[in-house]
Amino acid sequence: MAQDAAGAVGARLSPQVDSLIRAAQGGDQDAFEQLIRTYDQSVLRLAMNLLRSPEDARDVYQEAFLRVYRNLHTFRFDCSFHTWLYRIVTNICLDQLRKRKVRKEESAVVETSDGPIDRMDTFEEDGAESDPERSMWNGQLKQRIDGALQDLTPRERMVFELRHYQGLRLRNIGEMLGTTEEAAKNCLFRATQKMRSALGDFV
Amino acid sequence: MNCQSAGELIPLYYYGELSPEEEDRVEAHLYECTACAREMEKQRTLAAALDRRHRVPPPMLLDDCRSDLMAAIQGGAPRNVQPSKGPWTLFLEAVGFTFTGFAQYRQPAGALALIAIGFFAARFTGAGMGKFAVQPNGQAPVAYNASMTPDNDVFSTVRSVQPDSSGRVQIAFDETRRRVITGDVGDPSIQKFLVAASSEENPAVRVESVGLLQTRVGSDEVRDALLNALAHDANAEVRLKALEGLKSRAGDPMVRKTLAQVLQSDDNAAVRVQAIDLMVAKRDESMVGVLQNLVQKDGNSAVRLKCEKALKDMNASVGTF
Repeated sequence: MAQDAAGAVGARLSPQVDSLIRAAQGGDQDAFEQLIRTYDQSVLRLAMNLLRSPEDARDVYQEAFLRVYRNLHTFRFDCSFHTWLYRIVTNICLDQLRKRKVRKEESAVVETSDGPIDRMDTFEEDGAESDPERSMWNGQLKQRIDGALQDLTPRERMVFELRHYQGLRLRNIGEMLGTTEEAAKNCLFRATQKMRSALGDFV
Repeated sequence: MNCQSAGELIPLYYYGELSPEEEDRVEAHLYECTACAREMEKQRTLAAALDRRHRVPPPMLLDDCRSDLMAAIQGGAPRNVQPSKGPWTLFLEAVGFTFTGFAQYRQPAGALALIAIGFFAARFTGAGMGKFAVQPNGQAPVAYNASMTPDNDVFSTVRSVQPDSSGRVQIAFDETRRRVITGDVGDPSIQKFLVAASSEENPAVRVESVGLLQTRVGSDEVRDALLNALAHDANAEVRLKALEGLKSRAGDPMVRKTLAQVLQSDDNAAVRVQAIDLMVAKRDESMVGVLQNLVQKDGNSAVRLKCEKALKDMNASVGTF
């Protein structure tokens, strides 16, 4: 079924991507740039939603695509490029998430004299939220969702992000994370259960 | 199947990750058990709430990342070299994000920065915009306007600078501005925005816009947007809303063609069931083959039963010979 524009299925079917990879492997800088542009939006989206910090997402982007640049000659077309790329990206993101767990997770929410604000909210187009009650309810729901996401293990969070937001199949996700489809299923199940119990009365 | 095992399978059922046999068993249980049907409803509500919490990176952050990467590659810079600051970093600094020890000023500083952006952006719209000549293709500015310096526009990205021999220079730049418009859903110009929004990356925006468009399916443009959402959207909620909206156009050949495709390829049983409902609302002979095929091949028992019933109602044979 439908996936990200740069999803695994699309990439596998596209001879254009194959020829871009071959040209980039031969040193064609423009082809490399085009190849990156096919996938980088979804990579940045993944990093930003997982790490909830534009600065960290930017670091992940840079590190991931530099690794791609340095190692593209090792890509042998034995899996889709999307899977190969996401192996790199998910590894870097998982490392970051694990480091954060050790540092007790940096929150996107900062305390101010006017109460807690979420700096990620600057990106949202909330529009005119004229109903204060609804606005308060939404605010509480956001906080609860963020808390629930933070309570997931890095791997659960990754599987959830890839399945729910990036629309990838668990089989592909397992392939990317170097695990089985069954293990990815278990991760998704645990993540969903944890979030449902954390959101309790909201859903 | 008991409630405990159904409960364990509901999240995977929602994401279409069960085998056809497991899917059948869950569906049979949900049909009989109202408590588990409520659990399924909670799963949908959770997913919808999570959709609203998804962030799409601002285009200028993506631009910054791209230019940092290309600079690092072309300059052969090692990874640990701090990249130069792009407009996004400067903006973050301007609103106090990277200040340490001044957390309490972040919100007011951010508000001030946004007011400033609003002020300058407003200068570029309406009369101000009229003074700025744009080529018919809308891509490159052809005249220099002294009141519009890049300093004023925090969101601009310069794409090319081309001096000529007469001492003039042509600068092409992209601008990203946030604007808010309000209007009636029936207004054609609002509908154009909704059509565009129906293919946005943010699933929450797609759900909202397709939900609104479904009540206004009069024009072919809206119909096409709904058909596109139905055939290609990754989010099942969006596809269901699109189906809902297409009800009044069930006899339209384009709609029927897409429905036939959806019935063959959509991985969500609920979408397929709704698509059958829509297909049989306007009966024709060409659908018989599609339904017979589904009776034989669909992995979901509810879908197969629905097709069988529709074929019987039409006095058509259930099997192909």
